Amino acid sequence: MIDFDALLTALGRHEVSFIVVGGAAAIAHGSARLTQDLDIVYDRSPENLDRLVAALAEYKPYLRGVPAGLPFHWDRATVTRGLNFTLVTSLGDIDLLGEIPGGGTYQDLLPEAIELHIFDTRCLCLSLDQLIRSKRAAGRPKDLDALAELEAIREERGQS
Amino acid sequence: MEAYKKDIDRTLIRENLKLTVEERFRKAMALARFADELKRAGREARSRKS
Repeated sequence: MIDFDALLTALGRHEVSFIVVGGAAAIAHGSARLTQDLDIVYDRSPENLDRLVAALAEYKPYLRGVPAGLPFHWDRATVTRGLNFTLVTSLGDIDLLGEIPGGGTYQDLLPEAIELHIFDTRCLCLSLDQLIRSKRAAGRPKDLDALAELEAIREERGQS
Repeated sequence: MEAYKKDIDRTLIRENLKLTVEERFRKAMALARFADELKRAGREARSRKS
């Protein structure tokens, strides 16, 4: 089961630069849909990769959906070589994304991202408009329900 | 998109919008725990049957 509290706190404690995206961002905005993982877009600067590696190291990150026993070293070199990582950890599943469709990289997303104060930490999250744009850009059939809900949230907020 | 939107349960959204962001995450985690428990119970029931 996903432990948003512990994952976000661990990332915050190590001062990782990241933005919450995907289903967790939708929850932050009021979505009622069930989400099984935490998706983040992370800053690819070398210093931040070190912080990211340190933040997750103690939670035994391993590639999700890959047979156990395959060699996987969670270190700066591994993260530098890849871009997107779908990981299982002892705190739940986390997807580390270098960029997202309809949004781009951490730096591209930063100006419009909003700050959340949760679980005694602070983190950045996609704005509702950014989230809607990214879901539209992804264009996957499975995103249509989620997109419809996000647009409904925007309408409900407009009425409150 | 309008066709998808008419099936959205807006009462759930309205209830969530009354919560703080942290409360929304805590509710989502409780829901995930419940879903895991249902999956476990389903597996157990199927194994008893076979």
